[in-house]
Amino acid sequence: MKTMKDEGWKGVWVFGDYRNYFKNRVTLQLIAKGKELAAQLETEVTVLVLGSQVHPYAMEYTAHGADVIMVVDHPSLENYQVETYVRIVSQLVESFKPEIFLAGATAFGREFFPRLAKRLKTGLSADCVALEIDTETGLLIQTTPAFGGELLADILTPKHRPQMATVHPGVFEERSHDPQATARMVYPEVDIHAEERVQLIRSKPDQSPKGGLEEAELVLVGGKGLGSKENFHMLFELARLLGGDVGATRPVILSGWTEENRLLGQTGKSVKPRVLITAGTSGAVQYTTGIQGAETVIAINRDPHAPIFKMADLGLVGDAKTVLSLVLEKLRKRL
Amino acid sequence: MNIVVCIKQVPDAPSIRVDRERMTLIRDGVENIINPLDRVALEAALELKQKQGGTVCVLTMGPPQSEEALREALAAGADQAVLLTDPHFAGADTLATSRVIGRAISMMNPFPDLVLCGRQTIDSDTGHVGPQLAEELDVPQVCGVTEIHLDGNALLVKQVSDGFQNTYRVTFPALLTVSQGLHVPRHIALGALEQAFSSARVQRWGLKDLKLQPEEVGFSGSATTVLRLHRPPQRRKGEVVSGSSLTLTEHLIAKLVSLSILDEDDEG
Repeated sequence: MKTMKDEGWKGVWVFGDYRNYFKNRVTLQLIAKGKELAAQLETEVTVLVLGSQVHPYAMEYTAHGADVIMVVDHPSLENYQVETYVRIVSQLVESFKPEIFLAGATAFGREFFPRLAKRLKTGLSADCVALEIDTETGLLIQTTPAFGGELLADILTPKHRPQMATVHPGVFEERSHDPQATARMVYPEVDIHAEERVQLIRSKPDQSPKGGLEEAELVLVGGKGLGSKENFHMLFELARLLGGDVGATRPVILSGWTEENRLLGQTGKSVKPRVLITAGTSGAVQYTTGIQGAETVIAINRDPHAPIFKMADLGLVGDAKTVLSLVLEKLRKRL
Repeated sequence: MNIVVCIKQVPDAPSIRVDRERMTLIRDGVENIINPLDRVALEAALELKQKQGGTVCVLTMGPPQSEEALREALAAGADQAVLLTDPHFAGADTLATSRVIGRAISMMNPFPDLVLCGRQTIDSDTGHVGPQLAEELDVPQVCGVTEIHLDGNALLVKQVSDGFQNTYRVTFPALLTVSQGLHVPRHIALGALEQAFSSARVQRWGLKDLKLQPEEVGFSGSATTVLRLHRPPQRRKGEVVSGSSLTLTEHLIAKLVSLSILDEDDEG
């Protein structure tokens, strides 16, 4: 079979998504994974950084293992803008022809990458939980949750280039920071035409939800199995008494039991507390991708076959609502 | 204002069951619903129509049975419904899906001022079709909108994105995908539902109506292909305990003590 390599598509690209740098590590995680893929393909990892005065990020990406940093630095690129980024990045892809292009499944990644893939008329897989190279064909196997997260699907982009994927934060591990590392800097000539048909009027840090959930040492998560909004709200009292924060699964959000900023999983937040208690959640992959980083997982569910028990360090087969209310009772007595 | 709302019929989340041996969806007992965020998009469209006048057209691509979703949307107050259905459309990835939906919308006369979609569906959950449809139609996009306000001949929309709250001024035509919390979808009266199912008209467009070629749509028009399905790997092997709620509570408390989340119980 004629491979795309023959047609000049080569190299692994990572989109440098630096906004919220200290909390958003997904670019660093993709550089690490990109290095593995690139080693198998005997090629290099390039991080593409667009923005205004982005050199500190270029240095960070170098220290975390990038081989090449491609920088487009211009005052008009200060804010993330979908149309401008698609216009610039599609030009770069067409001239440099990377065979693989990865981005974090951040809110911006999920808004920008689909439009870019469409402009390039290539495939895109969403929220990958694993990436590897098929040893026979050299194609990128992109593993994503399927059927509401009950199964995983291995996706290929056989004939179109680049092979594009977004990856959920926290799936891969970043490499350690090496201040001695070096990378080749590339400043491509590109037509910068920062024109947007929607006008950004204001952009301010979002104050509404506290960042507490991502930092909490203990996270209590409730699922639809808790049965009612009242039962779900026991988690808040437990969190207050034990010193933790509360997360929720998608069905809970859809039922309006709590606010959307507590959503964990594929389209919500990822947490990595020291201890996570998950109550009345069956354990669909779309949820569990958000709790993979938890050190110890305690699961309570009525169904002994629920997939959540496969990732629990302690599994309690029983009625989550009753167990939680008994724990609450005991804690109140202690006070 | 003429608004097109793109909806998708999806299996209701709690009823999704997979045969883990055969790796297929168990179809028995599956309840189909309008994707919840598409209901929110429809509600946003109906509220804009209430304030501004105009029409709301709902559109879906899917098998013939997706007509139910369109009829439900008509019952909620949509004026027109278009079903894009053709055996050739099956097996489409988001690239091919956005091509078909985009072609249908660009054939509408007049071209809509606003296209609204849910930010993602609960079944495939990619969130790709909205932005890819905007690209196909060559209109600007804002994804994950949490507020929409009229501002003269434009809209002011809010989006929370990666820790920032962004406000955009959007002129027409444009595409917005909506997020949870924008609106609570209205209750659909039974009478309206009965009427929509017995009398309302749903237009059906296939490959030929859209002047598309078989190789542009469905499986053959897709860039991605599914190599295989498999079960999620087992990550940990922990202790699994069953017993009375009281026994389970004791286990939980003991574990929390051993993890130093709780202090040793002084009452014993």
